[in-house]
Amino acid sequence: MLFSSIPFLYYFLPVVLIAYYLVPKPAKNMVLLLASLVFYGWGEPSYVFLMMASIGLGYVFGILIEKFRGTNWSKVCMIISVVISFGFLGYFKYTNFFITNFNVATGLSLPLLNVVLPIGISFYTFQLVSYIIDVYWGKVVAQKNFVILATYITMFPQLIAGPIVRYSDVEHQLIGRSITFERIAYGIRRFCFGLGKKILIANILGEYCAAFKATDEKSVVFFWTYAIAVSLQIYFDFSGYSDMAIGLGSMLGFQFIENFNYPFISKSVTEFWRRWHMSLGTWFRDYVYIPLGGSRCSTSRLMFNIFVVWMLTGFWHGAEWNFIVWGLYFGILLMIEKSFLLKWLEKYKVFGHVYVLLLGIISFIIFDAANMSAASQHIGAMFGMTDIPFVTGITAYYLKSYAIVFVFAMIGATPLPKLLIEKIREHKVGNVIVRVVEPVVMGVLLLVVTAYLVDGSFNPFLYFRF
Amino acid sequence: MEKKRNKLYVIAFAILFFGLTFFAWLKPADEFSATERRPLDQFPTLNAETIFNGKFMAEFEEYTLDQFPLRDAFRSIKAIMHLYVFGQTDNNDVYIADGYVSKLDYPLSDKAMDNAIKKFQSIYKSYIDGTDANVYYSIIPDKNCFLAEGNGYPTYMFDDMETYMNNGLSNMTYIDIYDLLSVEDFYYTDTHWKQENILDIAVALGTAMGTPLSSEYEKVTLDTPFYGVYYGQLGLQMEPDKISYLDNNLFENCIITNHENGQKIPMYNMDKANGRDPYEMFLSGSLAVITIENPNATSNKELVIFRDSFGSSLAPLLVEGYAKITILDARYLNERMIEKYVTFDTQDVLFIHSSSVINNKTAFK
Repeated sequence: MLFSSIPFLYYFLPVVLIAYYLVPKPAKNMVLLLASLVFYGWGEPSYVFLMMASIGLGYVFGILIEKFRGTNWSKVCMIISVVISFGFLGYFKYTNFFITNFNVATGLSLPLLNVVLPIGISFYTFQLVSYIIDVYWGKVVAQKNFVILATYITMFPQLIAGPIVRYSDVEHQLIGRSITFERIAYGIRRFCFGLGKKILIANILGEYCAAFKATDEKSVVFFWTYAIAVSLQIYFDFSGYSDMAIGLGSMLGFQFIENFNYPFISKSVTEFWRRWHMSLGTWFRDYVYIPLGGSRCSTSRLMFNIFVVWMLTGFWHGAEWNFIVWGLYFGILLMIEKSFLLKWLEKYKVFGHVYVLLLGIISFIIFDAANMSAASQHIGAMFGMTDIPFVTGITAYYLKSYAIVFVFAMIGATPLPKLLIEKIREHKVGNVIVRVVEPVVMGVLLLVVTAYLVDGSFNPFLYFRF
Repeated sequence: MEKKRNKLYVIAFAILFFGLTFFAWLKPADEFSATERRPLDQFPTLNAETIFNGKFMAEFEEYTLDQFPLRDAFRSIKAIMHLYVFGQTDNNDVYIADGYVSKLDYPLSDKAMDNAIKKFQSIYKSYIDGTDANVYYSIIPDKNCFLAEGNGYPTYMFDDMETYMNNGLSNMTYIDIYDLLSVEDFYYTDTHWKQENILDIAVALGTAMGTPLSSEYEKVTLDTPFYGVYYGQLGLQMEPDKISYLDNNLFENCIITNHENGQKIPMYNMDKANGRDPYEMFLSGSLAVITIENPNATSNKELVIFRDSFGSSLAPLLVEGYAKITILDARYLNERMIEKYVTFDTQDVLFIHSSSVINNKTAFK
């Protein structure tokens, strides 16, 4: 089920909120668990059982790890659990990729399994693995209550597209959380804001991208503006989803970690990745990069660690070579920055911004492309390496039609609107105006988003494929 | 103070949110959307099979979209946002220019034109080739052809379509009517041309087919507001069109038969004029096979028209010159059925379709 859909907004969510607020505290986790299973089952009825099996195994191995703490059996249980979790992920997400590449390498033609990728498996597998490893490291105590653990893993606000919430971050909230008007009001604000980012910016930019793909009259300008549009679309789509998840969590009494922090204002790729998909970045840092030795090692080992982390980051996003290349692309840039460039970028900030935007846009072309051949053709066309006109009438038409959305998106991707509101709030009258206008804006936003949904507009969620 | 504000905030938002929610739950389901001219989805079948194959979920989403309360008002909000806040030049490919509503028809599709050529040639080879029938074809330029370019909307050159079709239909005589039309000949809110403005087209077609036409007609304008097909697609409030028809005593003696059910139908169907699509008043709308027999015709000639909906308002104006007109819609009629209704020998045969239909990949598939 999509957050940005009428069934979720006006059928699922109201029922869940009413039930959740009405039941006594001890029953809230059960309501949340049942709601999450319905939410997941709505799109993947048969894969509910797979997810529950994964959680069941994680539950058992968590307890066993703790039981055998101090012995080798604890490590064995941890390894078995992690292998099983990644085994499920590997089977459903990567089998066809490996078979295809094996066939290419050997000339054989082994049949593809054509398994359907369960929605959200990459996200809930990472949450489960982080829980198991944290139990093994003794950072958290194994959860003895299956309902609580299942509630953590399946929690519908963050189940299928993150943020990747750590068990350690919500352990206490799972047992006892306070639901206040302040948190609900914040949640409403955050949810509506995310919904607006998704429907009014990401989806409309998505239409621009669809128009680009549909026309035969492409131009250099169209290739560039498509690249900008797709970068902004991915950002608003994913960060909008994260806003909605954080908002829903807040309405339910949870405090989830932030996932985005204006990544396009970064001055280096290193900074970009501290601001983009932060929950994934910190996951790889804590569970792969640091265990490999982190940065406190020889230069060659450091480069190796970065290489492994970024190859895995790319591969996590999808079972295609372009995702691996996308990950390695960032890995190489980070290695270069770590070697010498970072200091220089910090000195020449304007250059740093241009550099991040340019390389970021190119990265999203690789990310968005069907394969590496399409990505290289697209990048070639952007730099005039194909025989296409600089601009065409169709390019001009669509640019004119989407100009305001582009401007909104570019400004919205920076902290400028937030800073402006904070500036207004510094004045007494301004503060009163903001306090009065803000709830009205949120209400209008809900109505406008509903209008777009009712009209049956373009509405895919990009991160569902991960 | 802050606590009180948050409480008020949540209560106000809950009233809006749950108000809309309960409205959506309790509103009885509508059967039909008048503005969109289509039946609305009803509550889907709920059982284990439809749940596990995902059919229920997919259909439930469609149902909730179709049955959402104040659907037309919400669609208007979306159109206003799209066109006037985000400054987009079209909404769902529908745009307003010079007061007319039109739909983007771009680019020119070789595949769509090939489909049309293939269909016409197939009919020609199966039934007409080797007979003494005189075969003509004409293309009705879409409203877009007169509106798009001048207002900055993408369009194709009508000449390019003519050239392509002429190459594919070189065994037929092309009748060019482009210069006889302008945007004023079309309704503001609908795709179709106005019958009262196309008498010169009928005369030109008649002349080209060797059938002079000279009748005079009385223009009758209906009181019923005519909200055209683009009105619903645009989603904005607009002034409706007025629908008029051209009447002549000649029509009183004509025998018009709908061969889908064998029933006699009027030239102008006043029930349809007050129905969901008033343009269906012309020969009762999109029927696959109609014949018009005119005992007072100026000749004994017969005409066979292969047409789309534009032909419904054109055919009455050709009646004067033909003892019998057979009107066929090749989009809806199985080709093998044609021989049931027409035996080709010396008739005039006219293929006439809108450029938007010819440029539609699925129309003649």
